[in-house]
Amino acid sequence: MTPEQKLSALFAADTPPARDYVFQARVAQAIALRRAWMTVVALVPWLVAGTVLLWALIPVVGPMAHSLGGALQPAAAILAGAAVTAGCALWLARRFNGGLQGG
Amino acid sequence: MMGTLTDSELVGCALAGSDAAFSRLVERHQRAVRGFLKRILGGGWAEADDVAQETFLTAWGSLRSLKEHTGVRAWLCGIAWRKAQDRIRATRRGAVRDSFWLESLERPVGVAPEDRMSVTAAMADLPPDVRACVALCLADGWSHSEASIALSLPLGTVKSHVGRGRARLLKALGGPDDA
Repeated sequence: MTPEQKLSALFAADTPPARDYVFQARVAQAIALRRAWMTVVALVPWLVAGTVLLWALIPVVGPMAHSLGGALQPAAAILAGAAVTAGCALWLARRFNGGLQGG
Repeated sequence: MMGTLTDSELVGCALAGSDAAFSRLVERHQRAVRGFLKRILGGGWAEADDVAQETFLTAWGSLRSLKEHTGVRAWLCGIAWRKAQDRIRATRRGAVRDSFWLESLERPVGVAPEDRMSVTAAMADLPPDVRACVALCLADGWSHSEASIALSLPLGTVKSHVGRGRARLLKALGGPDDA
């Protein structure tokens, strides 16, 4: 073998495979993690705004709740929780489905 | 469907939020990026793959900065090159790195162990930018102009780096001094 051929052979031996699903999965996992963190960070302002809104509404909603009686309070709390959960789920599903449909 | 799209179409889909399109770009270019990093970092595959992963993560976050004329492969290797420079500056450990490199290299059939050691030692002795030019142009067959774009080096510098690096490596393999 000439020095040129030896050099080519050594470089060729140091080449990764054309496809490496383990590496691709690692990258996809890292991207998914980063996207999840970005989603959490994006939700923080909405959480703060919601908290401030609820705090501001306490003087209005508080007396109404008292007048309606304690029986409605659990139902209202469950409904509010369900609405928040459904809203978040819809928003997240639209975000991720939009990404997949884009490809 | 993704397999038939061009790189720029895949970039467009990825910008629209498609993770599948970005995965296809990773599949298409991981070989070039990882091979390049392995050769210039001189460590094992684990280190090269760590930096390659950081490279693709950075690329995912800055897809909008990709210019049409650059080409995805050159753009990715440019990011990889900057990450590798940071890594080399931060973790250069001289002889320890070189000995690990020697242990981690595959030895092709027909090449004597001493030849492999000579080449890896010569490669380790090259300055990082010369090594990067050699890794792209000699090992991966890139054109000088493409390497110039990826590494942000003048074309003349790339040509002289490749010539000098090639001469040093061939000399290590018993070639003529002026190879």
